[in-house]
Amino acid sequence: MHFGRTAWMHQQGKWRELMVVSFKRLACATALAGLALTTMAAAADIKIGIVAPMTGQLASEGQDMENAVKMAIDAVNAKGGVNGDKITTTTADDACDPQQAVTAGSKLVSEGVTAIVGGYCSGAVLPTLKIYGDAGIPFVIIGANSTKLVAANQGNAFLANSTGDMQATTAVELFKKNGYKKIAVVDEGDAYSSDLAKLTAEAFKSAGGEIAAKETTTAGEQDYSAVVTKIKSSGADAVFWTAYHAGGALLTKQLRQAGFQGGIVLGDGNNSPEYLEIAGSAGEGVYLLSPPTVDLLSGAADFKAKYKETYGRDAGAYAALSHDVGGLIADAITRAKSADQKAIIEALKASDFKGLAGEIKFTDKNTLQTSNFRPVIAKGGKWVAE
Amino acid sequence: MTLDLLIQQLVNGLIVGSFYALIALGYSMVFGVIKLLNFAHGDIYMNGAFVGLIVFSFVGLWVGNGWLGVVCALLVSMLAVGLLGVIIERFAYRPMRNAPRLSILITALGASMVLNGTALALTGGRHYAFNTDLGFAGVDISTVHITYTQMVLVAASIALMAGMQAFVSRTMYGKAMRAVSIDMGASRLMGIDVDRVIALTFFMGSALAAGGGVMAGAYYGSVHFFMGFIMGLKAFTAAVIGGIGSVPGAMLGGLLLGLLEAFGSSLPFVGSEWRDVFVFGTLILFLVFKPTGLLGRSVVERV
Repeated sequence: MHFGRTAWMHQQGKWRELMVVSFKRLACATALAGLALTTMAAAADIKIGIVAPMTGQLASEGQDMENAVKMAIDAVNAKGGVNGDKITTTTADDACDPQQAVTAGSKLVSEGVTAIVGGYCSGAVLPTLKIYGDAGIPFVIIGANSTKLVAANQGNAFLANSTGDMQATTAVELFKKNGYKKIAVVDEGDAYSSDLAKLTAEAFKSAGGEIAAKETTTAGEQDYSAVVTKIKSSGADAVFWTAYHAGGALLTKQLRQAGFQGGIVLGDGNNSPEYLEIAGSAGEGVYLLSPPTVDLLSGAADFKAKYKETYGRDAGAYAALSHDVGGLIADAITRAKSADQKAIIEALKASDFKGLAGEIKFTDKNTLQTSNFRPVIAKGGKWVAE
Repeated sequence: MTLDLLIQQLVNGLIVGSFYALIALGYSMVFGVIKLLNFAHGDIYMNGAFVGLIVFSFVGLWVGNGWLGVVCALLVSMLAVGLLGVIIERFAYRPMRNAPRLSILITALGASMVLNGTALALTGGRHYAFNTDLGFAGVDISTVHITYTQMVLVAASIALMAGMQAFVSRTMYGKAMRAVSIDMGASRLMGIDVDRVIALTFFMGSALAAGGGVMAGAYYGSVHFFMGFIMGLKAFTAAVIGGIGSVPGAMLGGLLLGLLEAFGSSLPFVGSEWRDVFVFGTLILFLVFKPTGLLGRSVVERV
């Protein structure tokens, strides 16, 4: 996957909710869902439902999710399957649309799948939580990461992607690893960036760090010199910018221009090639907290090559995580020692799975214990895994 | 506040203030001559930056990304965008010249949206890098680092403004401009080609804004379609503080606003998130208590 695709990903959380509004479905959409549903099952096997956007604007992401989950399942089957049974998959298209997601979800339930994985858009996943919850089907959510999902979960759903607020944890880990003691936090005054700034400041303080300055810039403004001067005079070891790439590039440039020598760390909103273009040489050595996109995972090279070989296309941003979830569900069924859904849910709760995108262990709210955001560093005009 | 911090904020204020002053000049000149708040002025600044970037990327192939390229971009952009200003005046404002004041104000908002929307459509909302080789070299005064670029930038905008002031106060055209601003009808009776003088005013104001746009683009290294919005608001504030309609007032207002912002955001207990409150609060105070600004004359409303 080339980098351009990830430019908009920082807004995925918002996007996924917005998608709800933006997809205007025709009546025939339901029929399409039926068409996209591909059943490859032989009756006695364990059947896993994949729910993903196979049509619409995010169809490419959905295709990636399906491919990567299947790749993981195929690998498990090649080694003899789980508890002697082969796993089959069936895919339902939610088109990232809440209405269609409900149709797709009901279809999977009536097909009698053992477990379900998938879900890219939080808006489309949200209404299905009740359907799967009432049916007691284990559901591992791959991409969707709104905190609303956590609240609506009936106990059978698991979030394999970090919720946005876990980025603060990753940020603090990075600060400590790099030995930063005093941090200046800068946001752009919008809900997303000021939340992240606040969470990070709190987390860093409780980890024993000091917040040297907490600044806010105006979106669309070009001159950050006043903020830069305050940061410099605050004696901060590093700056954490929580907003988006356009402002991030300007801030980076102006910090370096003013002779600031400390570290610069950027939130996931800066995951864009435009940042590197605008920041130019000033961007070298800057850290970015990135979601686990396949290009930035150091251990995913083999997977990437194999994916390309198998499907003839580059692995998309969420392919690695989807692959992990495919492995995770097979692992949980193995540990449950049966296709009993309650047992599988219990097994998922006790997961300790090491995947490409990181460790999967769940909290008592079925969210990831450790954030899967990871720091990457700008080197030679590219983001590279550290 | 330590001395270093004081000097640093002074430098910051001067730089951003000279941008404000350049844009505020155009605002003020147009208001002086046809009593129009040209809300499209911020977008003219943005267009100037884009034209500058295009020229810069072309001439950069021959002369490199250094000063020569920036100067070429500056001159071409000032000329082209100056003409754009004349075109806007000709087609958007001239037909409205005798219409009620509110109509022409709304026309100005429309012109602003046309420019802004066109830029959005053409660029897709992307932020374009304006990468120069000007570098960060400069002089250090204790911990304060002032780059040569910053010095040249302030000097260039002061030179442009001084040139403008000389033009308005010393030349026949300048005299005609002042005459039109005092009484358009009488100027016409005295044989002044009023349309031409107004067109000239738009040309010069737009060229200054374009100059500001190219300098800001090259200095900050990034250009996007929305960059004119906040700049337009701030320049308007600067023009009001200095006294709208007054050329030296616009320069003074711009520099003062820049300093106000720089120092306003380093006051104790006042975080940088309060900076815009500070700036636009000042605007309101001026509008309420001294609407003519620091150097403005009171305008007699003609009926």
